[in-house]
Amino acid sequence: METNTSYDPSFAREVFENVDSGEEIKMCMQCGMCAASCPLREHMDYPPRQIFSMIRAGKRDMVLNANSIMMCTSCYTCQVRCPRGIPVIDVMHGLAHYAISKGILTRKDTAVFGREFWQQIYKTGRIDEKDLSRRYFFADGIITGIKKSLQMARMGIIMLLHGRMKILPEKKIKGIKSLRSMLDKAMQTGKGGSEV
Amino acid sequence: MAEVEATNQTLLVVGGGMSGITAALEAAEAGYDVILIEKNPYLGGRVTQLYQYFPKLCPPNCGLEINFRRMKLNPRIRFFTLAEVEKISGEEGNYNVTVKLNPRFITEKCTCCGKCSDVCDTEIDNPFNFGMDKIKAVYLPHEFAFPMRYVMDPSIVGTDEAKKCKDACKYDAIDLDMKATTFDLNVGAIVWACGWTPYDASKIEYYGFGRYKNVITNMMMERLASPNGPTAGKILRPSDGKEVKNVAFIQCAGSRDQNYLPYCSGVCCLASMKQSTYLRDQYPDCNITIFFIDIRALDRLEDFYTKVKEDEKVTFIKSKIASITEDEATGDLLLEGENTNTGERIQMTFDMVVLATGMVPNSLDLESAPSVSKDEYGFMTLDPNNTGIYGAGCVKRPTDVASSVQDATGAALRAIQSVTRR
Ligand SMILES: Cc1cc2nc3c(=O)[nH]c(=O)nc-3n(C[C@H](O)[C@H](O)[C@H](O)COP(=O)(O)OP(=O)(O)OC[C@H]3O[C@@H](n4cnc5c(N)ncnc54)[C@H](O)[C@@H]3O)c2cc1C
Ligand code: SF4
Ligand code: SF4
Repeated sequence: METNTSYDPSFAREVFENVDSGEEIKMCMQCGMCAASCPLREHMDYPPRQIFSMIRAGKRDMVLNANSIMMCTSCYTCQVRCPRGIPVIDVMHGLAHYAISKGILTRKDTAVFGREFWQQIYKTGRIDEKDLSRRYFFADGIITGIKKSLQMARMGIIMLLHGRMKILPEKKIKGIKSLRSMLDKAMQTGKGGSEV
Repeated sequence: MAEVEATNQTLLVVGGGMSGITAALEAAEAGYDVILIEKNPYLGGRVTQLYQYFPKLCPPNCGLEINFRRMKLNPRIRFFTLAEVEKISGEEGNYNVTVKLNPRFITEKCTCCGKCSDVCDTEIDNPFNFGMDKIKAVYLPHEFAFPMRYVMDPSIVGTDEAKKCKDACKYDAIDLDMKATTFDLNVGAIVWACGWTPYDASKIEYYGFGRYKNVITNMMMERLASPNGPTAGKILRPSDGKEVKNVAFIQCAGSRDQNYLPYCSGVCCLASMKQSTYLRDQYPDCNITIFFIDIRALDRLEDFYTKVKEDEKVTFIKSKIASITEDEATGDLLLEGENTNTGERIQMTFDMVVLATGMVPNSLDLESAPSVSKDEYGFMTLDPNNTGIYGAGCVKRPTDVASSVQDATGAALRAIQSVTRR
């Protein structure tokens, strides 16, 4: 872990002002509950508590390049257990967005998936599994695309058989316009972050 | 119950713990008539269940004995056990209070010979020891009980068992026809000193209290260490009665947590450190680990912290433990968390875990009573618009005995002012 040799508020200020839910970390008392509750803790370079402490210590590059901010799967365990009621997930997602907006792509896969997911929802109001996977798999070029598709072929067939994936393209939902205006509104209330 | 004489110059103190006893004594010794109402069959409150007091590590009974003596010597205090307030009406200088007196089934004639208990076969969970052992259904609440008198559990009244007990009493001290009664009091001011209740640890699901036998609370630890406790003072783990070698304390178990008890109770850090000395006295080789967020040991109590920290068998680790899992075969407990000093993951196994749970105030909360002001956590506050009813001790703030006693003395003075203003 990065030990906090000094307190440097400059990055904290940047986070409070620019990151969605960034101000929430003011309430963090560094208890470690979130770190210990996270099912992905072993894969994270810095669990949430350490991220929040590093923000206060001004470790800008380390925070924005941390793999953990993009690894959160929204399982909500830390969030329901945080004794200070901090929406840990929202902060982690806020930081991920902010990092992407600064051109930092520590986990490019996750970023691409998120972007494609969002765009589909915005376009049709639902997820077209085959289209989403195609865009996600082929984001890095045709060769990796084919490789990844073959790896997941079995899963695709099972999904087809169970009707979880359709052969024809998904249709737009009814009232897509209202959904979009909701999403637009949600975008406006945020502090910005990445443009999708 | 005959009429109990009282006037608007009389003070009523509700709750016979350290705070209530202090308020009653201070007012009585200042020359005021006081009536003290206690819900338990004995006076003394929670401290009767403690083995030793921090930081001096002396027995609470000694201070209690002094207070009971002061009470016996002072004719201005009248007290009632097994009594509860049902109704309060009126205003400062003139309250009308209805008190309910629950039947004890044992009269003043009781000499504590214990014959009734000897013949009684029915056993109940012992409330004094948090159900860790059983007690006869006619019993002495504890060996230093004041008043020193047996009590019969209502569950056997009306059975042959109760008759058997009655017949065994040579002094005719058992009255099975005793009924709950109520009486009304006219008093000028009220001190509410009903103290606190331990936070219900079973609410903290990830610690498994109630499911894992070797996860106990700090109050249970006090009973385990007490010579008059369920194990005669030997600290043994509940699942198999084995001696302990490796014990963990989890601080802020539920405390300072929005999901459970949002405030700091201020005494549980000291209580755990105190209990680490109980363990060290009995088991020189026992390893003790105290998991904490921060240690709260205010002003002079910091010295006690320094002293315990010097003990090489006691380790302090900065971490809020996130989960406990029991090994069903051995009853051992796996604790997981993050060491927030090193960032390392904690996975440690212990024989027994003590949850340092906090204090929940028993504030005045009767439907048929004036409403009093409370803070966001339910502790009573001084209400400028509603003088005449004053909180004292742990109903106002979770705190130790010394501060409770100070606060109760202040409350007694306010109550006196309320009656002299009239
Ligand atoms: C684990 C632990 C260890 C502790 N160890 C120490 C220590 O070593 N040293 C120290 O100084 N402090 C210690 N404390 C704190 C100490 O217990 C309190 O300061 C003390 O009990 C406060 O006294 P009180 O009279 O305000 O409340 P209580 O002791 O709770 O007394 C309240 C009384 O009111 C009665 N009552 C409740 N409701 C009613 C009602 N409706 N009608 C009538 N009567 C009622 C109760 O039966 C009780 O007798 C410890 C606390 C904990 C949790
Ligand atoms: S659980 Fe909450 S208070 Fe504790 S370290 Fe994590 S964010 Fe901070
Ligand atoms: S006294 Fe210690 S254990 Fe108790 S709530 Fe406060 S910090 Fe937590």
